[in-house]
Amino acid sequence: MGTQLRLRSAKVLIINLGSVGMEIVKNLVLGGINSIDIVDDSVIKEEDYAAQFFLPNDDKFIGELKLPNIIEPIKELNNRVNINIHTDNFNQLLADKDFFKKFDLIIGTELVKQEIIELNELTRTFNIPLYVTGLHGIFGYIITDLIQHVSTVERNTINQAKTIGEELSLNKVVENYQVDKPNNKEILTIKDTYSPISSIFTSDNLPKQLSKRQLRKLSSSLPIILSLLESDRSELTTEEINLKAIQMCSNLGISPDILSKEYLQEFTNQQFTEFVPTSAILGGCLAQDVIQFLSKRESPINNTLILDGLRSEMPIYSL
Amino acid sequence: MAKDTYLKKVLGEERFNHIKASKVLMVGAGGIGCELIKNLMLTGFGEIHIVDLDTITLSNLNRQFLFRQKDINKSKAMILVKAVEKFNYFDCKLIPHHGNIMNTELFPISWWSSFDYIYNALDNVEARTYVNSIALFLKKPLMESGTTGFQGQVLPIYPYQSECFDCIPKDTPTTYPVCTIRSTPSKPVHCITWAKEFLFMQLFDEVQILSPEKLAEQRKILESETTDKKEIDNLMNETNELNDLRKLTSSTIEEFMDNLVNKIFVKDIEKLIRIDSLWKYRKQPVPLDYATYNSELSSMVKSTSSDVLHNETKVWSILENLYVLYQASKSLIDRIQSGEKFISFDKDDDDTLNFVVSASNLRSSIFGIDVMSKFDIKQIAGNIIPAIATTNAIISGFSDLQSLNYFKSYELSNQDANTVFVSMKPNRFVARATLASPNPQCASCSLSSRGIMSLSSLDGTLQELIDNIKEFYKYEDISLILGKNKLIYDFDFEDNVDRSLNSLGFKSGETLLVQDDNDELENLELYIIIGEEFKLPELTLRAKKVFKEETDAEDDEPIEEGVVDDIIEVEPPIKKQKV
Ligand SMILES: [Zn+2]
Repeated sequence: MGTQLRLRSAKVLIINLGSVGMEIVKNLVLGGINSIDIVDDSVIKEEDYAAQFFLPNDDKFIGELKLPNIIEPIKELNNRVNINIHTDNFNQLLADKDFFKKFDLIIGTELVKQEIIELNELTRTFNIPLYVTGLHGIFGYIITDLIQHVSTVERNTINQAKTIGEELSLNKVVENYQVDKPNNKEILTIKDTYSPISSIFTSDNLPKQLSKRQLRKLSSSLPIILSLLESDRSELTTEEINLKAIQMCSNLGISPDILSKEYLQEFTNQQFTEFVPTSAILGGCLAQDVIQFLSKRESPINNTLILDGLRSEMPIYSL
Repeated sequence: MAKDTYLKKVLGEERFNHIKASKVLMVGAGGIGCELIKNLMLTGFGEIHIVDLDTITLSNLNRQFLFRQKDINKSKAMILVKAVEKFNYFDCKLIPHHGNIMNTELFPISWWSSFDYIYNALDNVEARTYVNSIALFLKKPLMESGTTGFQGQVLPIYPYQSECFDCIPKDTPTTYPVCTIRSTPSKPVHCITWAKEFLFMQLFDEVQILSPEKLAEQRKILESETTDKKEIDNLMNETNELNDLRKLTSSTIEEFMDNLVNKIFVKDIEKLIRIDSLWKYRKQPVPLDYATYNSELSSMVKSTSSDVLHNETKVWSILENLYVLYQASKSLIDRIQSGEKFISFDKDDDDTLNFVVSASNLRSSIFGIDVMSKFDIKQIAGNIIPAIATTNAIISGFSDLQSLNYFKSYELSNQDANTVFVSMKPNRFVARATLASPNPQCASCSLSSRGIMSLSSLDGTLQELIDNIKEFYKYEDISLILGKNKLIYDFDFEDNVDRSLNSLGFKSGETLLVQDDNDELENLELYIIIGEEFKLPELTLRAKKVFKEETDAEDDEPIEEGVVDDIIEVEPPIKKQKV
């Protein structure tokens, strides 16, 4: 019951309502969250139709503000959820710090690095958990700064007993461990500690959590995705992406040899494009993590999830 | 930019055009289907057919985003197509079909063969197995998908190139220690398991008569769980006595009811109480005081106006549970007596559900465990882990993504696609495995060949067909099984050879299994259609495989060719999970 209650009282802010934003909104509204505020000042563009299923199916809306024209189908999903829309410019809104204060959780989609860092400073000041996400065709990411979080996991007993203080993975520590023998269950209390998002771009954590073999087999998508966050979302050439990614590899202390031609080519084609199956996966994954975070059940993503549609992998790194 | 700019960039112009020209089938319009249809439409597929036999219920609404309150009781497939028209930006041709996918008249093989790709979004094994068999008959690529709670899987199936749905053994349901179920229940689920897996099964289901070996084996299992000899003896006696009880299903309902209740809710409980060791640290059960309910029960039975049976969300009283047990038993023994050899539990078969609900509640009340409503027990008895909307969303995304490789070259090869398991760990959200080769012991794809047999008429005799098949495939001697299990011919059963195919039940959509009586060639499964001319599929039958005892060596992971690596993989190899 506590779980349901926390969910039903949570106020969530979503910044930008593109393809992945719509998936998140759909999932959270179905999940029965208390209220969702959406900030988006964009107008409906032709290319939006490739992956945004709430758009009105009529060309006369192209060029009009998006939010007022898609609010109805969202409300229809679950009339118990309060939906509020803001067509203000996000960067101007950032100056109005009080606006952000009232939310229990903030989700930023398709932001650039500078926006993420400014937003993250705010969320750290007010102690608000932050998720950011975005995609490039079949690739995508979820980055989280939930500051600090304690959750309980109840699961079937696995052979090896856990010890208090044990690190399950980097920044995920067992705070308490109980065994419910008759029911063959174990109950883990896990504490997650997060780094500010600004620090992940220069984190030296990767070599600490991956074996040499894993480092060698690391997908190009991690450094490329992080470096694309640093661009202003204008289209880059393969060479520009390559240079940025090489720089990112050196920031992260990994070999630039992992950058493959195939990935550079795919990212050149797919940079900043929306694709609905990718959004469905990211939106499902992020909404699920948010719901569990609010319920304090299951340990959340800490802190960089990469969706690699070429390899069908979704590794999570703690940067 | 144009509306399809992103799709062309992501998929490449050529593949996008392939997808636009493709006609695909989605089977199931439930939790995964609602999400998947959106993905397929916005991936640009030109024509999508949707099949579902269900109507929308209240419980669908909070996780199937295309359905609304006003749609309740309407066809899922029809409403789905109406709902998605709102975002049909690429003019996809959408065709709904309200019907059972296994119906060969509604969905003949010619209809199936018109699709380029099949997406399963189903929730039951029977339909999945059927679609899998069609994919094998037609060599069509099939995407299998499924979710349970927070876990899910997609499995691309390229017939005969990669594992098919039947290659993978299915999960067995969770089990509880026998002693807990039969002697010392402490939770509703223990009593439900007892009522469903033990009592109901013994009374009505197809059970083997236990051989002395089986009984000894059962005793061994019990001995491994408890050292209490008295308890074991008691449990073994109970088994024998229940065998006797089964004979009662041929008596009148009054006799049946009195014997059943007196035995399982009174005498058996009294026996349990006498085993002191069980109750040292537990609360003793209290046998049912059946006599006090007797007169009220019989007047309730006589009055025809009781609506207890229809109140599924109310927690029934003991009297009401007895009444439901009476009514359910009455229907069940009627069914047995009018010819049903056995009845299996099915949560959607109300007689069986009512029996299990009332029996489990009566047992719960005896052990001081909470009594539950029929609705709640149905969830547990049906082993339903609630579907989670977000898992469905994630799986629907992978279902779409993993199928896209096929539309590059239309090649049925397992090179590029992966099976993906959703199951969150601290360092990954999904696990992936390259597709495995077909299981060499899979009866569906490894031990038999399949094809379509066209008959020009059903007037010919069975002998003519036998001669044709033997000559065409060079069989020496065969046996024939029509449909699921109707043996129509083998070397010492020739009664039917002069009969017409029609009179034997041959018809369009039926299957005919041909087995080599000399055990030299593999089995051949033929899907029957009625066509212009008689035609057997061109197939080269493989030699029949013979299997020795399984050895552990087969489980060893093959070493990746060309990879020389001195560092040991940190992550364990991915464990096979089931859909
Ligand atoms: Zn198979």
